[in-house]
Amino acid sequence: MFLALRDLRRGARRFALLGVVIALVALLSTVLSALATGLVTDGISGLRALPFDHLALQDGSQSTFSRSTLRPDTLEKFEGLDGVKATPLGASFVNAASTDGGPNLDLALFGVSPDSFLVERPEAHAALEGTPGLVLAHELEEQGVKVGDTYTLGGSDVELPVLGFTFAGTYGHAPIAFTSLETWQKVQFGDGADGRFAAVALTGGTDQQLEKAATATHTDVLTKKEAYAGSPGYTAETTTMSLIRGFLLVISALVIGAFFTVLTVQRTRQIGLLKAMGATNGYILRDGIGQMAILVVLATAGGVALGCALVFFMGRGDAPVELSIPAVTTVVVSLVVAGVLGSLVAFKRITGVEPAIALGVEP
Amino acid sequence: MTEPAVLLEGIRVAFPDGPDERVVLDDLKLSVDPGELVVISGQSGAGKSTLLAVTGLLRRADAGEVTIAGTATSAMSSRQRTAVRRDHIAFVYQSANLLPSLTAVEQLELVGHIRGERSADVRRRARGLLDELGLADRASQLPSQLSGGERQRVGIARAFMAEPSVLIADEPTASLDPQRADSVAELLAGASGRGIATIVVAHDTAALSRADRHLRMEDGRLIDVGG
Repeated sequence: MFLALRDLRRGARRFALLGVVIALVALLSTVLSALATGLVTDGISGLRALPFDHLALQDGSQSTFSRSTLRPDTLEKFEGLDGVKATPLGASFVNAASTDGGPNLDLALFGVSPDSFLVERPEAHAALEGTPGLVLAHELEEQGVKVGDTYTLGGSDVELPVLGFTFAGTYGHAPIAFTSLETWQKVQFGDGADGRFAAVALTGGTDQQLEKAATATHTDVLTKKEAYAGSPGYTAETTTMSLIRGFLLVISALVIGAFFTVLTVQRTRQIGLLKAMGATNGYILRDGIGQMAILVVLATAGGVALGCALVFFMGRGDAPVELSIPAVTTVVVSLVVAGVLGSLVAFKRITGVEPAIALGVEP
Repeated sequence: MTEPAVLLEGIRVAFPDGPDERVVLDDLKLSVDPGELVVISGQSGAGKSTLLAVTGLLRRADAGEVTIAGTATSAMSSRQRTAVRRDHIAFVYQSANLLPSLTAVEQLELVGHIRGERSADVRRRARGLLDELGLADRASQLPSQLSGGERQRVGIARAFMAEPSVLIADEPTASLDPQRADSVAELLAGASGRGIATIVVAHDTAALSRADRHLRMEDGRLIDVGG
């Protein structure tokens, strides 16, 4: 890259415009990526944090808790499987009205058995086993909710105190509130719960075992990742974000391809001269693609750095943004690959330049 | 008997001209020995540049054989012709054709880089050549910072850097004033001392007066008009 490096250094102004465009695309991609990660976290972090491998939901519920109602006989079938731990899970969205004049809360209410494998921390176990109440996601504590505050849960007259806070995360963009399964059933079904719950959380067991049990119990057994799709808006959000990022990459590749093509047209005589000097097509292509790669890497690094700074400031507000190393790495790698692929557009044009052009002779 | 550095035999080049064709080079023959300086003149459009392009393996002839340093090239692939060009042929152009982003010394180093030579040797040789051609103090200047004469001398130094068997110059003095033209012609004549077969297209006396042979292009052929 003898020529490429010197060309970049001494013709910096010529490359500045493209560099700025790539940096802006990188910045936008980083922010979108952080937003996508943030939205995913906001949608499913609570579910992701629970220590289960599979969820069994009622047949046809399409991963959605509100469409699934299971009974104890289903739980017994899963509990009977060798090497499988099964526990009932209640999940629903509720509005919690403060009885003390504080702000009302939208909650994802998860009902769990206090002695199940889902409740890992002893203090959580103790809290859920005692007086009925709520163990809330710690984000709510930062919003001013205190232990001892009481809330009336919408759709029922059940009044519950706040027992404590834990890293519960969120589900469907609502903070999770854990309560005992019994309390959840009371909120959800009143006095006629009849042992009903939304899903069976499972850990251990083979796929064959679980499939067989699913058929027998008329349930769908989902992996944890498959269960994420049931979070309201999850599929739409991830699809939209992926689409926007895909478009950005395509635009980036096209911009770089167009720039490199114009650059190649401008350099036609120079390319002819290099060929007249004995440079092969490979030498010229390596030089040109190398030049684009350096430009794309530098501009992308700059854009990503600015994007990270912007995300940092956005994160201090209400925007659901989250930076993750794999997501940022994906942005960088995708942009560099798109840029280099874009520069390959000029491949044919470079190989087509005749060396005779150096002498101004018609090839 | 010395083997010619350049041997053209039966060269024919024609361009389409409406329904007909215009023959530019017609059964052309040329032999140039190592160290010989041949100056070619002729009217505009006579085919001089086309002849240089064919001789320098920049384009193929429709018929005939081009032999460079004993190697017949007409049946070669483009890649093989590129390799022959890289190892045996160098060019000096009317407008110097320097790369705008390279300094004078880097213009020469590029030749070595294309040939895959070690960069320390290349730099030493490039500086030596610039020194030889009186350009030592201009080594770090970009083409835009050089005068027309200096650019042309850098172009010649670049050609010498390739240590070619054949040097092809297309009107190298055309855009220079008589004094600078004379200096450039002197440098080209110096190629003979390096054992390089030099073919120059020129019309001015500066080049003609130093020629071992003067040929004129007429009707697609070369006519010997003396030395």
